[in-house]
Amino acid sequence: MSSRRSSRSSRQSGSSRISDDQISDLVTKLQHLIPELRRRRSDKVSASKVLQETCNYIRNLHREVDDLSDRLSELLASTDDDSAEAAIIRSLLNY
Amino acid sequence: MNHHHHFVPDFETDDDYVNANTNSSSSNLPRKPIIGEEEDGDLMELLWHNGQVVLQNQRPNTKKQPLSSSAAVKLHNGAPPPPLDHNLFIQEDEMSSWLHYPLGSNDFCSDLFFPAARPPVPSSVRPPEPSSMRPPAPSPVRPPAPSSVKPPVRNFMNFSRLRGDFTGRNGRGESGPSIAKSTVRESAKVNPSATPASSAAREPDLTRRTDGADSRGAGDLGSKSAVDGGGAYTVGHNRKGKAVVTTERTSENLGASSSVASKSEIEPLETIVDERKRKEREEVGSTECRNEEAKQGRGSSSTKRSRAAEVHNLSERKRRDRINERMKALQELIPRCNKSDKASMLDEAIEYMKSLQLQIQMMSMGCGMMPMMYTSMQQYMPHMAMGMGMGVEMGMNRPTPPPPPPFMPFPNMLASQRPLPPQTRMGGYPAVQASDPSRVYGPNQQFDPNSSQAQFSGYMDPFQQFRSLHPSQPPQFQNQAASYPSSSRVSSSKESEDHGNQTTS
Repeated sequence: MSSRRSSRSSRQSGSSRISDDQISDLVTKLQHLIPELRRRRSDKVSASKVLQETCNYIRNLHREVDDLSDRLSELLASTDDDSAEAAIIRSLLNY
Repeated sequence: MNHHHHFVPDFETDDDYVNANTNSSSSNLPRKPIIGEEEDGDLMELLWHNGQVVLQNQRPNTKKQPLSSSAAVKLHNGAPPPPLDHNLFIQEDEMSSWLHYPLGSNDFCSDLFFPAARPPVPSSVRPPEPSSMRPPAPSPVRPPAPSSVKPPVRNFMNFSRLRGDFTGRNGRGESGPSIAKSTVRESAKVNPSATPASSAAREPDLTRRTDGADSRGAGDLGSKSAVDGGGAYTVGHNRKGKAVVTTERTSENLGASSSVASKSEIEPLETIVDERKRKEREEVGSTECRNEEAKQGRGSSSTKRSRAAEVHNLSERKRRDRINERMKALQELIPRCNKSDKASMLDEAIEYMKSLQLQIQMMSMGCGMMPMMYTSMQQYMPHMAMGMGMGVEMGMNRPTPPPPPPFMPFPNMLASQRPLPPQTRMGGYPAVQASDPSRVYGPNQQFDPNSSQAQFSGYMDPFQQFRSLHPSQPPQFQNQAASYPSSSRVSSSKESEDHGNQTTS
């Protein structure tokens, strides 16, 4: 659908392929990814709010990743270095 | 106490005094005899006779002090100003005219309240003010004053100090700044060292204002309008007689001095509250200021319309600024985001979020599964380890994956071994709400290498894109490219299935 829109907008706007529709579309997709904003229907949510929630959500995800990494590290420390779990954990940590 | 008053009108009665003085500016002889009697120091009357100070009458209260200073001023002025009002710190004809003129008159709007403020004046300036402050001494006062004003620096320092108190009191401090301003302007080139940074900035204002003030009225306003500095914004309002002295208190004296000019004709109500408003307005309305002035002549209706349009533009601009700011913040959060246009950046943000969600899901499952793996996944360990190692770190190595899918989600393997409790499988779901990967391997409970490989490629792509970008590896890149659209299609199809009713995509 993005490709559809971009081609359509390119026809319409000529030089710039980025149209407001495209951007709003992306914002909508973002909104659906964010748990907080999913429950609200898109019409009432402003782009600025979506962007802000996206930033907050990404920061939360980062924090979760860090927490999980810490836990995995602890788990790794508790296993034998040669074991399969260690390998698994390392692979997870190397994400 | 009052014994001498039968010779001299009571100073309390301004009218008498004024009349008497105006009428007898040159004939204060009757008062002469009082000179000797006045030596008690109780009252010192300041009289001008033929341009010379005849008497000095000083009251115990502060009212009289200005007279002495005014006398001094008068000496400097060289003009024979009658002591119009002892309550007022004035000694000149202009003051009388000022007294009789309405407050809002623009004739005296210039900064000068007192044409030549003397050093001794500062303290005495304040008391006499109450209502007299507002209309400053008109420009005619200035010609005589300029040469005489020589302690402008000093005055200004005093006035800056006064100005410090200015916001506290409505009328009092004005005289200080206004006087200072007048003195500075008079001297035109006097650069009060007391006011550090603003002095340089002020000078052009002063010169401009001086030029404008000469014509007074419109001219003065015009000059003021030219001042687009801190005080500029108030000009338009000033002309309307509104007390919009918002620039009263600026961090630098510049704003204060420029606003003083306007303030002199306006109620000095503004205080720090207005300073905040001023800052708002300044950032918002420098254009508004100019537009306002331009619109003055056109009438209020057009002014209102253009103002509404301006307000709309400003709100629109603020909204866009907010959005751009958020976009920048988002861009900083996304690693290796070098996109400049909004759409591609939003695309990357979406993919990054998906990959993050997936990663968290995997890791959380790994944390949760580890104990279980340890106990029940013995025979699958080697495969899993190899698969995961290769799958995660080296992209899609199709030639070498073991029969079990390289990056097999735990649920699948465990499910193949024994039925997993639903909670285990669902454990990762809460972490990922709308991600395709969850949907991709969710249903995949079977141990299906082919499908899982395809799905693996599907959901590994977003993450590969962000974590192990190796554009130099053509096979992988091609694989990624080949599979990416499929994942996109999968995702879009799945999304459309589930969210088709909800979104218009």
